[in-house]
Amino acid sequence: MLTLIGRKLIGLVPVLLAASFLTFMLLSLLPGDPALQILGMSNPTPEQIEQVREELGLNDSLPVRYWNWLSDAATGDLGSSFQTRQTVTAAIGERLPVTAQLMVMSLSMAVVVSIPLGVAVAYKAGSLFDRGVTAVTFGLLSIPNFVLALFLIIVFAVELGWFPATGWTRLSDSVPDSLRGAFLPSLSLAIGNVAVLTRLLRTDMIATLQEDHVVMAKAKGLPTRQILFRHALRPSSFSLMTVLGLQVAALLSGTVIIEQIFALPGLGRLLLDRITNRDYIMVQGLVLFLATVYVFVNFAIDILYSFLDPRIRHGKSRATA
Amino acid sequence: MAAACGDDSGDGGDGGGDGEGEGAITSTTVESDVDEVTTGGTVVVALEAETNNWQPGVGSFSNPGTNVARAIYDTIAARGADGEIYPYLAESIEPNEDLTEWTVTLREGIEFHDGTPLNAAAVERNFAVISADDSNLLGVLAQVEEFRVDDELTYTYVLAEPNVAFPDYLTGATGMPFSPDAYDANPDGFGDEPVGAGPFQFVSWTRDNEIRLEKNPNYWRTDANGNQLPYLDELIFRPIPDEDSRFASVEAGDAQVGQTLRQSFVRRAREAAENGNMQTFEAIGNNGGGAIFNTLRPPVDDVRVRQAMAHAIIQEDLIEILGGTGITPPQTQYFSPDSPWFSQEVADAWPQHDPERAQELLNEYINDPNRSDGKAVGEPVSVEFNTPPDPSLILTSQGYESMWRAVGIDVTLNSVEQAEHIQNAIGADADPPFSGNYMINIWRMGANEDPYITLEAAFGPWESEPTNFTNYTSDNVQEQLNVLATSTEFEERYAAVESIMMEFTEQIPNTWTAGTATALYADNAVRNLAGWTIPGDVQGDGVMNSTVYWSEVWLEE
Repeated sequence: MLTLIGRKLIGLVPVLLAASFLTFMLLSLLPGDPALQILGMSNPTPEQIEQVREELGLNDSLPVRYWNWLSDAATGDLGSSFQTRQTVTAAIGERLPVTAQLMVMSLSMAVVVSIPLGVAVAYKAGSLFDRGVTAVTFGLLSIPNFVLALFLIIVFAVELGWFPATGWTRLSDSVPDSLRGAFLPSLSLAIGNVAVLTRLLRTDMIATLQEDHVVMAKAKGLPTRQILFRHALRPSSFSLMTVLGLQVAALLSGTVIIEQIFALPGLGRLLLDRITNRDYIMVQGLVLFLATVYVFVNFAIDILYSFLDPRIRHGKSRATA
Repeated sequence: MAAACGDDSGDGGDGGGDGEGEGAITSTTVESDVDEVTTGGTVVVALEAETNNWQPGVGSFSNPGTNVARAIYDTIAARGADGEIYPYLAESIEPNEDLTEWTVTLREGIEFHDGTPLNAAAVERNFAVISADDSNLLGVLAQVEEFRVDDELTYTYVLAEPNVAFPDYLTGATGMPFSPDAYDANPDGFGDEPVGAGPFQFVSWTRDNEIRLEKNPNYWRTDANGNQLPYLDELIFRPIPDEDSRFASVEAGDAQVGQTLRQSFVRRAREAAENGNMQTFEAIGNNGGGAIFNTLRPPVDDVRVRQAMAHAIIQEDLIEILGGTGITPPQTQYFSPDSPWFSQEVADAWPQHDPERAQELLNEYINDPNRSDGKAVGEPVSVEFNTPPDPSLILTSQGYESMWRAVGIDVTLNSVEQAEHIQNAIGADADPPFSGNYMINIWRMGANEDPYITLEAAFGPWESEPTNFTNYTSDNVQEQLNVLATSTEFEERYAAVESIMMEFTEQIPNTWTAGTATALYADNAVRNLAGWTIPGDVQGDGVMNSTVYWSEVWLEE
């Protein structure tokens, strides 16, 4: 098992290097001069612009700039924003709890709703209930989450006053206020996932329910709940796990919009704001961090497969047997 | 000018013009009376955007940031309702005879939030920081040759050239003193934990979430009845970039005051105010929208093409597209009808919609064998028009496109991201440098500063003024700018402004759509947003650009 983990970890290095290189190159190709962006409309002199360009290393060649940045990043130094004077690591540390809480809450909401719902519609496949859920999930999939977010704000914040429309309270300041403030944005992110996960689980469960071991369990007279959740759900959850891993990326991109609408101080809003301001150092560090998170989440899911399905763990020894 | 009066009489001096406000303020407000004031409470203000840093010289104090900075710092000078500059933290601001030296005397007994006294030495230390090479105020302060401390409370800015408008800078970041002790103790982190002399002191800042301020118990000001200012206990500013969410936050009671520069939300706030659900405070200053021409770039380097394009425009239709009908009047010059610098003569001379005249001018250019774009005689004029990817701006640019196409101009619309749009206008890397990397840009022009500051930046020699985006200037413009820099006589300065504006009606460095309306909308319990004063019972300039001074705002119980 350790060998498997080690092998997979080594495989991540070129992926991260490629992600960092592509990010660096793409940002370098963006039009606009970061030096001018920093000096803004303050009537900068050509000398002042040149000085800032020199300080930012913008006069160096691309490979030199990439190497300098990468060697600093390898030591954990992602640099400081010239515009906000904040270090990238401090900015990430400040924003990560917000985005992480949103992602955990929205994934939890999605899983808590979609698993029982997916199991139920698979069990009642073809029924009116199944058709109704299918229609609703199709509908939910077609609504962009920013539209949903504004709808939720109007109904639950402005009209009913149950939740705040905007703003963020840290968990360390007040757990109830934090959960209340994060509820609507998490729900905006979760609804699309509920639809995806429910439909996916339904399909897999219907196939599993036809398999011999389930028929055997039914023949033994085991209770339906036990058959569905103990014998059918586990083998049906591989696609679910894969998609959950992929959804981390979808959620990260979703937070860019949702954090903007709900005015939340998370990583997504920081990324958008810094891209708009051509804050290259901050954007490079952020993208590298997000790419690392994404790669490691999918790595963790890979490892989780091995625990869930011994066939994967022993696949190699069988193949060579 | 009032800044030079050195007293608090507020009579406006010789530059006060007719005493009218600098911009129109249309408000649907709850009446406020200083005798009814209740103290205490918290007001949450929803702002358009976050500010990068709170240190003067580092922070970009645009409209949202200025609201916060004024609460923390206070300013050496402030603009009155009559458009004049008055001493605020200063007791007086006096020029020498030839306007090359400006001497500021600070009020006695003012302390920063950390107890450090506000004196000339403190401002001297501030000056060293804000005039450093990495300061975004360096462009403004390049004119200051020497900063001289005269005595404990008096100091002098020695300028390279006369500048009658210099006190204007002291109403902004240049005139926001900050504690030198706090800065020197933590120079890298000062912008995260600012210490000023304003009515509210810093408590905490979570970027993109909120900056929390509390009452400064040792604030230097009292109200007309001798009550200690500020009235509020706490002031929280929240950046909420999405317009819908910001408006909803005030509707839901999460915030008590919101800020907007969008016509559609000015309208929504008006409707809510008419229904009694909130108050709105609107202002139209000397800032307007339009299109700027790069006068070095063919074919718009030819005045006939620019004139034709101006005659092709139907301003009212563009205003309707922007959603500004009934909110913003058509603009014809750098100054709104409420400004003392407005000229009816210029307004009458501004090119009106006249497609025949447009066609005539275009034909002259098209049939000119020496036409500047190098095309063959008879070929149509082709232009490129750039706009940021904002829905209302895209619609407006399409409006321009259809009007210009109607007179036979071939228009290519380009969507250019905001940061690039601005940089293209500056054109630092253009050939020659600062000549602009664009042909026509959708743009906002003008400000409420002294005309010299606005027009020098926009029409000074383009080789040395990166903010001369149109690259237009002339001997007359330079001559009149010199008058504006050196004359204290309102009539003489007015004539100079009118002469420049009149020249623009012929030369058309830009077109105009309408003035920019800004607004603050607020819960009905918030009082006296627009009624802030300057010591000496001078009325401040209200909610200009949706910014205010916060010490006299109070909350009904």
